[in-house]
Amino acid sequence: MFHTVKTSVKPYMKLSDLIDDNPLLLLMLQHFNIDFRVIDLTVSQLCLEYKISDNLFISIANLYNGFGTKENETFSKTDLLQVIDFLENTHVYYRSDKYPQIRNYITQLQQNHPAKELKLIEKFFDEYFNEVIEHLDYEDKVAFPYFITLLKKQKGKSDYVPYSSNDYNDHHTDIELKLQDLKNLLLKYVKIDGDLDLRRRLFFALYELEFDLYIHSQIEETILIPSGICIENEQEL
Amino acid sequence: MSKNYRPSLQIVVYETSQIIFEGLQTILYQSELDCRVYHADTLDHLKVTLENKPVNILITSYMMFLNLEKEIKKIRRSHPLLSIVGIDAGFIQKQSFQLFDTTFALYDSSEQIIHSLIKLDEKNQCLSSKKSEEDNLTDREIEVLTCLVNGQTNKEIADFLNISIHTVISHRKNITLKTGIRSQSGLTIYAISKKIIEIDDFLPDNLT
Repeated sequence: MFHTVKTSVKPYMKLSDLIDDNPLLLLMLQHFNIDFRVIDLTVSQLCLEYKISDNLFISIANLYNGFGTKENETFSKTDLLQVIDFLENTHVYYRSDKYPQIRNYITQLQQNHPAKELKLIEKFFDEYFNEVIEHLDYEDKVAFPYFITLLKKQKGKSDYVPYSSNDYNDHHTDIELKLQDLKNLLLKYVKIDGDLDLRRRLFFALYELEFDLYIHSQIEETILIPSGICIENEQEL
Repeated sequence: MSKNYRPSLQIVVYETSQIIFEGLQTILYQSELDCRVYHADTLDHLKVTLENKPVNILITSYMMFLNLEKEIKKIRRSHPLLSIVGIDAGFIQKQSFQLFDTTFALYDSSEQIIHSLIKLDEKNQCLSSKKSEEDNLTDREIEVLTCLVNGQTNKEIADFLNISIHTVISHRKNITLKTGIRSQSGLTIYAISKKIIEIDDFLPDNLT
């Protein structure tokens, strides 16, 4: 989001060069459970080693590089199961890394400054974080198991819980809007004296989170849900 | 020209020529325009960009839509606020001009190119003038905001201020547009920072 030179990822490109261009790809590697020591591997070599299809890897890498998903791109069931793994890993990253980090910065900030608004910011963040957890739980316990059943099922009538992709979108929008509110409050309104190091760290963490949340919803909306609908339609035939 | 006056422009360049794209991008970034430039080199890519980014200007050339005039019409239908700018490469036919809101020639100077975009932008400003006023709530909006952070519903606010619910909703929209804050708890913090309300009314005992 904050880089202007965009590289469209190709199978023959070296991972180390791609990461140099856009370090945020490290987040993607981590979500794929791929080690950061990528030696001199090209995209296809790496994919072969980790048993991920080139198509899937490149589609997601291009999202991180600022492109959209191509229309009519098709993904295999194995791809989609890997997408779910990937998304589950992003949840772990939010829960155990990004949110605690941000919470920690806000607490420190609140301790350093007597401004009472900061207590409210802390409260705002906690409420927001609870909503996020609720959404992540919903995906982990309802949405993903639904997709997994759908993907592993043989042809025939289904007996899964009815599930709507609209639920998904409502949640996302809300999560993104509250984060936007938080950024705007800190950028435009709440007065804090100095403490620039801590505040910069907080901002960077918020932008990193925003970026990954955006990619996360892009993956769901442009890869997982459309493919899910295709499979549903096939099975009904 | 101050940044407050001009909200940032989101421009997508739909053009297969890398030379033209990069040249244009350089001119745009070096100009006074507060803009963000995206590149699309296929029609699919263009559509995805238009779906996902808040693009206000599309720059393209007639050649990109040769025999595909219908596509431009489709894009206009699904993105009514989008302005489309044509690059005149010197061999453009007259009738193709009407496809675009404005055009500039490939051999124009950077000042001329920027000028044509500014003129286009000024036209669009009238459509979204509220956005540029930013953060100057009217007295009425402040009243609505105060009720809102006090936890009153739209109906209660309407009764209290003796206005229709519809008016309350439109005030709320404007408040969000001007402040950039949507949630009620966010607006509470805004109101306190702006000293519209007293903080002590909003801190529960366990927080003070």
